Amino acid sequence: MIKVQHEDVDIARLIQDAKRAGTGAIVVFDGIVRDDDIREMELEAYREVAVPELERIADIAMAKFHLIHVDIIHRIGRLAIGENILVIVVSAGHRKEAYEGSRYIIEAIKAGVPIWKKELTKGGGRWVPGEHPDRSGKTE
Amino acid sequence: MTAKLRFFARFRELLGTDILVPVREGVTISDLVRSAVSGNEGGYAAIFDENGNFREFVILMRNGKRIERQDTKNTPVQDGDEIAIFPPVAGG
Repeated sequence: MIKVQHEDVDIARLIQDAKRAGTGAIVVFDGIVRDDDIREMELEAYREVAVPELERIADIAMAKFHLIHVDIIHRIGRLAIGENILVIVVSAGHRKEAYEGSRYIIEAIKAGVPIWKKELTKGGGRWVPGEHPDRSGKTE
Repeated sequence: MTAKLRFFARFRELLGTDILVPVREGVTISDLVRSAVSGNEGGYAAIFDENGNFREFVILMRNGKRIERQDTKNTPVQDGDEIAIFPPVAGG
């Protein structure tokens, strides 16, 4: 399942569904709104591009790390501290592939999927600086 | 002929979600965007530098595909094109 959505995610259900034939390891990445002296976080996406890009990343990860199953659910809208932002569930035959596949997916998302985060504070808000694809590691 | 300009994140706050603009035959992506945002001082300054070029961190897509900043100067806009303009992504 690859989705960009407002609704929260049932992680236990995803784990259950990821137990496909041949699965020996499941890695779950759960990105959460951190309390960095903020009230809430607001996320927006260029959804028409973000979803196909997430699908492409999942396809690459499955082939590269011999994964059995991948779920990526990225939330948008206003989220409170402690809420899930991004859930990645990866199943593989062994832990090495599962860990490496999960790591590949989160780094690829951060590098190139058109989604943005704004931290809403008491004094207003601030956009989280992103990485530019032409200048790896540098921000605006 | 018309094209849609779409802005995201900080650029959306400055310029609006999207703008439908008339397209003159042969106009380039760069010239179309510059013309469309020239009346918005803050929005223009966020996207263009003092020489009228896209700032280094600005990312552009044409119909969902990345287009390099330098290519926007010689790529004509087609009827119905969707040009997306946004700052570096920060998902995850």
